[in-house]
Amino acid sequence: MTLRSPTSAMLWELWRVTRAEIAWRLALPIGVGVAALLLGAAFGPADNPASYQRLNDHVAAFALIVIVLPHFVGWLSMAKLNGSRPGFPLYLAYTRPVRTSVMVGLPMAYLTAVSMAIYLASAMVLRVTSGYAFPLQPVAAWIAGLAVVLMMAAWSTRNRVFQVCVAMFAVVKTLVAGMDRITAVEVPDEFDWPPRLWPTLFDFPRTDYAWIALIGLASFVVTIVMVRWDRRGDSVPLAAAPRALAGVITRTPDGGLWDWLVGLFRVPCPTASATRAQVWLDLKSNGMPPLTIGVALAIVILLMSAVSGPIDAAINADPDVKCPIAECFYVRSAPPLFLTPLSLVTVFFFGGNAFGIRWRQGRTYVSPFEATQAYGTAELAVLKLLVKSACVLAGLIAIAVSFWISIPLLGDAVFVQIWGVPLSSRRSVITDAFAALTGYEQLALAVVAAVGVVVWVASWAALGALRTRYRRLITIAVCLLLLYGVFFVWLGVAVSVDPKTASQLHLDVVHRAMRWIAAVATVSTTVYVFWSGFADHVLTTRYASGAVALSAAFAAAWLTVLHIAGVQLAGMSAMHAMSVVWPALLPLMASGLAPWSYSRIRHT
Amino acid sequence: MGQTTVVDVNNLSRSFHGKRALDGVSFSATAGHVHGLVGANGAGKTTLLKHLLGLLRAATGSVRVFGLDPVRDPVRVLGRVGYLSEERELPEWMRVDELMAYTQAFHPTWDETYARQMLESFALDPSKKIRELSKGMRAQAGLIAAVAHRPELLILDEPSSGLDVAVRRDILDAIVRTVADDGRTVIFSSHLLDEVERMSDHVTMMDYGRVTLSGVLDDVRRGYQRSHVRFVEHFDQPPVLATALAMEGGGRSWIVVHSGSIEQFHHSVLALGGEVVESRDATLEEIFLARTGRNRQQVEAA
Repeated sequence: MTLRSPTSAMLWELWRVTRAEIAWRLALPIGVGVAALLLGAAFGPADNPASYQRLNDHVAAFALIVIVLPHFVGWLSMAKLNGSRPGFPLYLAYTRPVRTSVMVGLPMAYLTAVSMAIYLASAMVLRVTSGYAFPLQPVAAWIAGLAVVLMMAAWSTRNRVFQVCVAMFAVVKTLVAGMDRITAVEVPDEFDWPPRLWPTLFDFPRTDYAWIALIGLASFVVTIVMVRWDRRGDSVPLAAAPRALAGVITRTPDGGLWDWLVGLFRVPCPTASATRAQVWLDLKSNGMPPLTIGVALAIVILLMSAVSGPIDAAINADPDVKCPIAECFYVRSAPPLFLTPLSLVTVFFFGGNAFGIRWRQGRTYVSPFEATQAYGTAELAVLKLLVKSACVLAGLIAIAVSFWISIPLLGDAVFVQIWGVPLSSRRSVITDAFAALTGYEQLALAVVAAVGVVVWVASWAALGALRTRYRRLITIAVCLLLLYGVFFVWLGVAVSVDPKTASQLHLDVVHRAMRWIAAVATVSTTVYVFWSGFADHVLTTRYASGAVALSAAFAAAWLTVLHIAGVQLAGMSAMHAMSVVWPALLPLMASGLAPWSYSRIRHT
Repeated sequence: MGQTTVVDVNNLSRSFHGKRALDGVSFSATAGHVHGLVGANGAGKTTLLKHLLGLLRAATGSVRVFGLDPVRDPVRVLGRVGYLSEERELPEWMRVDELMAYTQAFHPTWDETYARQMLESFALDPSKKIRELSKGMRAQAGLIAAVAHRPELLILDEPSSGLDVAVRRDILDAIVRTVADDGRTVIFSSHLLDEVERMSDHVTMMDYGRVTLSGVLDDVRRGYQRSHVRFVEHFDQPPVLATALAMEGGGRSWIVVHSGSIEQFHHSVLALGGEVVESRDATLEEIFLARTGRNRQQVEAA
């Protein structure tokens, strides 16, 4: 391959860095969107055309959100280049004989163009699949503007606070402005932006495009100027910015959000034993971030719930507001509908990477510092998992407790309901149901929840380790699983739409095969990792005994939970019984797989 | 007198993505000696050291440190080993005192007084985060963590790479002090051949994943001569001389690095009508360049 100019070399570099992300940014939204549209078309109430249309309109709106949503997040592959720290990610190019404007402008232009292209491709695929007029250039222009502003926020300063504030402002402003545009007209008896009105609603005025171009240009110039200062090692001249702002922008670079969270609490490192020291290290470097984030989000949920009532009342006091407060989408719907689920997902997300795998400049590796400490591989893996799981669990509990306390503050708004009953009314029912359980049943629920979190953390950690060690193999396996899932969905749709071409029998066969494959894969993986772990001296008899005891406890708890849920194994077919009991095997598999996979990256 | 073998590597091979990084390497290190590991970039030095630490699993062959497999028994091996890498990968969020406390917890033999003395002599601020330290300071902090538990085996991978003279001296002093403790062993890799020549008593040379030379440094040096040879006749190409490994020069005057029988070499010079003007033991650098074929004119050994 011959690269004839710095520009082509930089474009090639950008393509290499971003191609995997481009693939999933394209595949995932299109996959989810198409699947949703197909499911909507297949399982909608065909006997009631009005309901059928309404359902599919909602699904189309959901699909539009799905293809737009990834663009509210910056480019992760670029952020990984400098370990997700704020600042210009291609700083290694500072020594190249390239002007700063080219060094900054080219990646910005490339990423903006790619963002637009990804959206346009996704929208066109959904157009062809569904027949709905998914908007093209208006949304693509908004996405381009947002992409440039997000890049400006991330690249032009090494200050995380400044970066987060600008990014949040850009995202919120884009959302609000976009929603204002498309919900400007009240549509009776349905949501305000039904697909049939999209061509009109998304026909933004030319001034919008002018604003987007202006904001993009300004972001572009600001980024070039700031990166030029960074390249020269200069501070921001005070003449160019007010003293306070210059202080914020040029503050000593920190190690990013994660490092900030790590350094938040100062606890002395115990020296009495290696285990305590390792717990301290993992607590600081791995555990505190999800716990801190969980607690912070719990506080936000509580505060937001407390202030939502007065804010909603103030909105409702506006004579222009025609929607009754109990039925409309006001502030009080945010904690239960968005904030709490998003908070739980965030804490789960931060529960990944328990083994502390690092990414830098395309390299994936485990810290050699920890790997060369005199500590057993299985013990180290388990310690890391337990510390991380405990912190994730604590974060989740904090969010759940906060939400539970917040429920009475939310009132009886329509959006906060379970099976047609407001959540606040359900609270006492849930409390009574839990109180009616025996101590053993309550313990079983707690065990299942706790071990479930550990299994989740262990599975992600093991997957990360295996992906580091056997990248291609794991990618192929994940792709095959996705293909299988797509095939399963397609078959389900086909059976529903046209039972002549695909019978229920086919669907049952595939479903049954899936269940058998899952069970056989679980058992064979468990047997292999324990056998290999023993052969490599990673696992010991003592460890295996502990794992079996824990798994047995989980199995007992799982059966109890099934009993609480009213599931009776007696009289059930063997296939069905196996599907129901199968999760009980997961802790045993995870307890073997986690140390085995960690040994694969500690001793590559 | 029998010497305790601390490290025993036998016929070790390892490939990365089809490229041979180690090819049938055998290497041993005995207690109480400094073993220098030299070789060009990509010769396999770091790969070999990573096998000793158990960071890499032997594909073929065996690795024994203190008679144990470092992959299967990391606790008993790493508990007796101190390690400092070229990259000096330390947790950036830790403070220097936290790094010391953390490392101490893994080593019951930690010498608190020694660690404090080194911290003071390096003028390292214990409250500073690793992230805030310069490259040299990081090397010093890593060095304290590696030697303060008085390891039986100290492994240093390019320890002085990219460091200034003062920090390099600190590291070399640490090697000397480690060896001064009875029975301790040091294995260190370096590009700086004069450093290896000054510090090591054993040297192992690697090239393209193979050990090309290994032995006691003095014996190695005695086995190679550098001679200045002058001929009556003019040679456009290097003349064919017995035992010659590499030649530099042209015309009538040639500098030759040769090994083996000196008489045989002299005889072959005389046979071509030349004379040996000057002869001395070759330096490690001259031997390295001759052995690895990186001299300007490489000669097939006779």
